[in-house]
Amino acid sequence: MKARELMRRDLTSVEPDTLIHEAIYLMEQAGLSTLPVVDEEGKLVGIITEHDLIHAALPEYFEMLHSISFLPNLNQIQKRLKEMAFKPVSDYMKEVLSVHLDDEDLHIADFLIRKRLKQIPVVDDEGHLVGVIRRIDILSRLVR
Amino acid sequence: MILTVTLNPTLDKFYWVDHLPLSLERVEEEILIRARKSVSSAGGKGINVSVFLACMGVETVAMGFLAGHTGQIILRDLLERGVTANFVWIEGENRTNITILEKGKEYHPVKIHEEGPRIPTHAQELFLKKYRRMLKRAEYVVLAGAIPPGIPETIYKDLAREAKAAGVKVVVHAGRRPLWEAVKTGPFFVKPDVREELVVGDMPVRTEEEIVAAGKKAVEYGCQACLISHHITGDILITPEGIWEYEAEIPLTKFKNLVGADDALVGGVLYRLTKGDDLLEAVKFGMAAALASAEVEPKLCLAPAVIEHEMRTVEVRRKEDR
Repeated sequence: MKARELMRRDLTSVEPDTLIHEAIYLMEQAGLSTLPVVDEEGKLVGIITEHDLIHAALPEYFEMLHSISFLPNLNQIQKRLKEMAFKPVSDYMKEVLSVHLDDEDLHIADFLIRKRLKQIPVVDDEGHLVGVIRRIDILSRLVR
Repeated sequence: MILTVTLNPTLDKFYWVDHLPLSLERVEEEILIRARKSVSSAGGKGINVSVFLACMGVETVAMGFLAGHTGQIILRDLLERGVTANFVWIEGENRTNITILEKGKEYHPVKIHEEGPRIPTHAQELFLKKYRRMLKRAEYVVLAGAIPPGIPETIYKDLAREAKAAGVKVVVHAGRRPLWEAVKTGPFFVKPDVREELVVGDMPVRTEEEIVAAGKKAVEYGCQACLISHHITGDILITPEGIWEYEAEIPLTKFKNLVGADDALVGGVLYRLTKGDDLLEAVKFGMAAALASAEVEPKLCLAPAVIEHEMRTVEVRRKEDR
């Protein structure tokens, strides 16, 4: 099955100059953990994930300790998030990770697993965002 | 691609009842009405047009504002029907519009329409950004339906101007001031919504003569076509080339659900125009789509063969040359 048959035709997205607090608001309202980032032409230029934002807000030594259980509370993370809130999405977004309309399901599943993504944007020949594929879209297809 | 704008989306909820006791003459503690059947679906004029087009295989993108749990249900329904969704999310809750259809009197439904959430200024700015982006990929834009609180009544005029400047053909399917302001920009096709008040602009449209006068005024502003309902099964098309009357002899008792019929009409016209039909034939198909939709319980008839068959019932007469 190709991406065009699997994808949700949902173009919910942000732009590189969207502020972080606006992106978090959109994630909350739309119930999404990943947002595609598009330019003025609607072309995909990156993605921003909850995971990226959480990591950016964690203390730098988290990478060594792999846990936040030693923190007395979440105040430090909250302080960092408030500093990030008015910075643009472009400061925290990932490189362009996408699949094409005609990519096959096996390639897409492999991509999601290797990149540890919950969803991946789908683009057309010109690079316009045309939809997204979530892990659950593939799983639900496979159990039918 | 056909872009549709629905600024005030709704979750349409339909109840079919055997009897609707609306009289309060008797002293009763409460009136209990048991629904024989109920159905919900994403709605709003533009959304209905998009659903119709997507089911006919036409690429369409629906835009507007979504909010809350109701917004999630609307989005899910749209995505399942193959509509591409590009909405701005806001706080609050989208409206729910209720229609109660009584057995044998389906042509005379009882409706309860909510107002919808207030749209904040920053959300309107976000919408405009997205709208301008999508215009670059659109052939037609459909500006349709009610204006939610917080948005000025001149919004369709502004959106129509932007679309015309981008070389996109504009279709306006709305009522009252929002429609007439947009008419002044000279859109391609206008379908006035006269359900609440038989008025287009400040002109009454109760008689054939009044309908023709209102349509001619729209044409003077630069509209290529203005289609105004004369009665449930009759429309009058006014264009710079002439005036045509579309009529179908169908008893009212044949209608099962009139909600969405007008939207099927607009969807039908656009579907046929994208297939290369001329306007007169496209309007005939649109009217057949409206009649076929009114004759089934679901909001829209999405079976091309049924609509084609319905075309036999539609008669077209030239009323007047220009």
